Amino acid sequence: MKLRIVSAAAALLAALGGLHSPAQGQGFKPTRAVEAVVHTGPGGGSDVLARAVALMMEKEKLLPVRMQVVNKPGGNGAVAAAYLAEKKGDQNTIGFFTGVWLTGPLTSSEAKVTLRDLTPIARLVLEPAVIAVKSDAPYKSLQDFVAAAKKSPGQLKQSGGSVTSRDNIVRQLLQKHTGAQWAYISFPGGGERIAALLGGHVNMMVIEPAEAGEHIRAGNMRVLAQVSEKRLPGFPNVPTLKEAGFDIPAVPQVRGVVAPPAIPKENVAYWDDVFQKLTKTASWQKFLADNQFEDGYQNAADLAKFYDEFTGRMRGILQEAGIKLVR
Amino acid sequence: MDILTGLMHGFAVALQPANLLWCFVGVLLGTVVGVMPGLGPPATIAMLLPLTFLMNPAGAMIMLAGIYYGAKYGGSTTSILLNVPGESASVVTCLDGYAMARKGRAGAALGIAAIASFVAGTVGVVGLMLVAPPLAKVALAFSAPEYFSLMALGLAMVVLLAGRSMLKALLAMLVGLWISGIGTDPFSTTSRFTFGRLELLSGIDFVVVAIGVFALGEVLACMETRAEGQALPVPRGLRNLLPTVQDLKDCRFAFVNGSVLGFLIGVLPGAGSTIASFISYGVEKAVSRRPEEFGKGAVEGVAAPEGANNSETGGALVPLLTLGIPGSGTTAVLLAALVLWGFKPGPLFISENPGLFWGLVASMYIGNVMLLVLNLPLVPLFAQVLRTPGYVLYPLILGISIVGVYSVSGSLFDVSLVVAFGLLGYVMRKLDYPAAPLILGLVLGGGMERALRQSLMMSQGDLAILVTRPICAALLAAAVLILFVPLFNKLNAWRLQALE
Amino acid sequence: MKARNADLWSGLALVALAAYVVVQASGWDYSGPDGPGAGFFPLWYGIVMLVLAAALVASSLLHGEPKRVDWRGAGRALAVSAALAVSVLLFKLAGFVVGFAALAFFIVSVMYRRPWPLAAAVAIGLAGGFYLVFPLLLGVNLP
Repeated sequence: MKLRIVSAAAALLAALGGLHSPAQGQGFKPTRAVEAVVHTGPGGGSDVLARAVALMMEKEKLLPVRMQVVNKPGGNGAVAAAYLAEKKGDQNTIGFFTGVWLTGPLTSSEAKVTLRDLTPIARLVLEPAVIAVKSDAPYKSLQDFVAAAKKSPGQLKQSGGSVTSRDNIVRQLLQKHTGAQWAYISFPGGGERIAALLGGHVNMMVIEPAEAGEHIRAGNMRVLAQVSEKRLPGFPNVPTLKEAGFDIPAVPQVRGVVAPPAIPKENVAYWDDVFQKLTKTASWQKFLADNQFEDGYQNAADLAKFYDEFTGRMRGILQEAGIKLVR
Repeated sequence: MDILTGLMHGFAVALQPANLLWCFVGVLLGTVVGVMPGLGPPATIAMLLPLTFLMNPAGAMIMLAGIYYGAKYGGSTTSILLNVPGESASVVTCLDGYAMARKGRAGAALGIAAIASFVAGTVGVVGLMLVAPPLAKVALAFSAPEYFSLMALGLAMVVLLAGRSMLKALLAMLVGLWISGIGTDPFSTTSRFTFGRLELLSGIDFVVVAIGVFALGEVLACMETRAEGQALPVPRGLRNLLPTVQDLKDCRFAFVNGSVLGFLIGVLPGAGSTIASFISYGVEKAVSRRPEEFGKGAVEGVAAPEGANNSETGGALVPLLTLGIPGSGTTAVLLAALVLWGFKPGPLFISENPGLFWGLVASMYIGNVMLLVLNLPLVPLFAQVLRTPGYVLYPLILGISIVGVYSVSGSLFDVSLVVAFGLLGYVMRKLDYPAAPLILGLVLGGGMERALRQSLMMSQGDLAILVTRPICAALLAAAVLILFVPLFNKLNAWRLQALE
Repeated sequence: MKARNADLWSGLALVALAAYVVVQASGWDYSGPDGPGAGFFPLWYGIVMLVLAAALVASSLLHGEPKRVDWRGAGRALAVSAALAVSVLLFKLAGFVVGFAALAFFIVSVMYRRPWPLAAAVAIGLAGGFYLVFPLLLGVNLP
């Protein structure tokens, strides 16, 4: 009698154990809506990217479930990163990161979660930029601007994002390379930066090509140089930084996907596969072309290496720019 | 395309049955969203984005815009009835609106809010239609120094909100300034006053403070007495259920004030409906013949800010549609929507997409009419909400507030903050510290500091930049003048006393 | 408690806050390489706050308005405030519906001294209502 009970119990336990073990063998498939965490509010850069990706996933039938965007703004990515870190082992959550997730922990002591603490999945795009001035400005090339800046140090002004953003990094690199100096004014919103340039309150800005496109078409803005390795299809007549004679790295704004820590290998492989497939679809190519992004696809393994290299480079640049590092 | 042709084309688009339906859905949804504290148009529009891909862009835009200005109508309802600001811009309406409700004139307040919103909303659309491109160019002349002086003007309004003790009002405002500074400094990445907490890195949300101080503070104050029966007097008689002719006459200037100021301030990217409603309220009080009534239930005190926050929607669409620059949180989402649908908002948008633009403008006229028709008859119905016995109403208010706050950020930390601010609101009430200056300081503090630092960066540390630029100097002069208003009033009072 | 004391205490509290702000602000950069630093603004408004708060303290000591602050009801209000705090804890542990029902029950039965079946009915009714309307109908998450 006892033996029967024990064996029944053992069988039950074994069955439960079988049910309980994580999806193994055949591979993972999400069973409920995938949460895509972004660090901006609705309408912000990451939010728009995540929504676009969600749409493409549906159109190309790459996911068996819906992708839902969850906004966790705050602390320049720190809140979103911390949220992901808390979701250890959760297989249905991913996050869309940008460069600030990488530089944030270097400068902010409350931003404790680095990309190394999360699971890298893929690097998706590299956003190039262009250097633009108002169309009635006297500068026809970047050399003109730099020369003018050298003549009156600190008088010319550039509008951009926060001091650790790519806009300022480009400025720091240019200043160091040429010895010129000009002021930098932070505007939290892209709209305000453009307004400052168009209103004549600043002389120059570093701006994403997609944002600049319409203003250039309307004749309000002119582009002096492009911050990218090769010439963008939308700007065939504008020299890149190197071509214009400025041998500095074309620092990209990087965007990609991460997942919470401690997820099983099949889960990582699944995401890796899905995103690789995404970058090969026609909708993705159209998306890249429309927004003038560079296809910066890297899979999970390469992303991890890129992260280390990028952070090291940033550390050097930020230190030279005189920004306090905490890590 | 000249204006008349454009408008007729627009009505042709807007009056199509499908688009009319979307307009109605939008304004209805907007009203509901506005009533709910915390949940606002940006989040709602973002949630609906995937749905919009199934619709044609004109219809989708009409619906989303309907949510935008519809929310402003709804926000006043809870502000007046329950002292719960449904939308950040409705905070100012709480001041006189709730006071009117306490006096039994809730219906009149609701009605005036609806009418003012209608008048101002329409003016806003007219403005958008007539003067959008030239006005956008003028708006570009505004940069950091001008924003700073605009906000200084807003802060100067504190002297008009002061009530009995100027010292306490100023101190409340300074506390508001302090709260606005909590978080990461955008310029230097230093964290300020965050006590090492991750949740405070992005500061304390305005909604949390406003709901805490106003709604929860009020509920706590009402808990003091075990009042039997209704919480607030139910309006009796037609006089109190709807605004009277006298009310409408009193508000003549308020309608103009709210519409014009709201629209102009809305055009400036970065200045929002909250600033617009405060400034409009302040101006109204400054020119009123009976300023003592404000804060105690002056009808104009409801009409002016409500009008301002509605015409601001029309204004905010100006930079979006003429330059592709979003002027507020909601317009930023609208911009994203346009981009996702494949449009390229920018200077050439209107000329290349006349159907969309004029269709939108025409639909806004229609939408405002729909909202008026929806809201006015419902006013007596809403007023009956006050019949609910206190022991049901107060927990209900608490529940709505908590859910509303949670829906903004999904963080329990914010909920505990709102409870803390509720206690603060209660204590402030007891000790006679006015709440409006606190909110004013909170709203303007962050922007003001940023604008000041940007200005000094532009001028290499030279403060003179604030007086050498014409618009900036003019606004600062206006701010200084406002500071003299109470002095002027006092002198006037002395003069009258001496004459007796 | 006289109004004098109330003003005095609140004034002193504000003086303390202002002092804290000033101290913190002086620890940050007053002026950075690209313009005013993090400490610039807080330092100035902290100083203004200090001056005004001190003025408030002084005026409360010198004038002492006869207006009395009515503290009778305060106990009840503070009790509700405490109940709110407890309910936040309950939200974390057991979710909104449970926590809110408890809060509503507390308010109705203790604050309003209504019979507890009524209190329970109200509590469950409201909490249920919230559950129906928000997550189910509107898709808004409850704590």
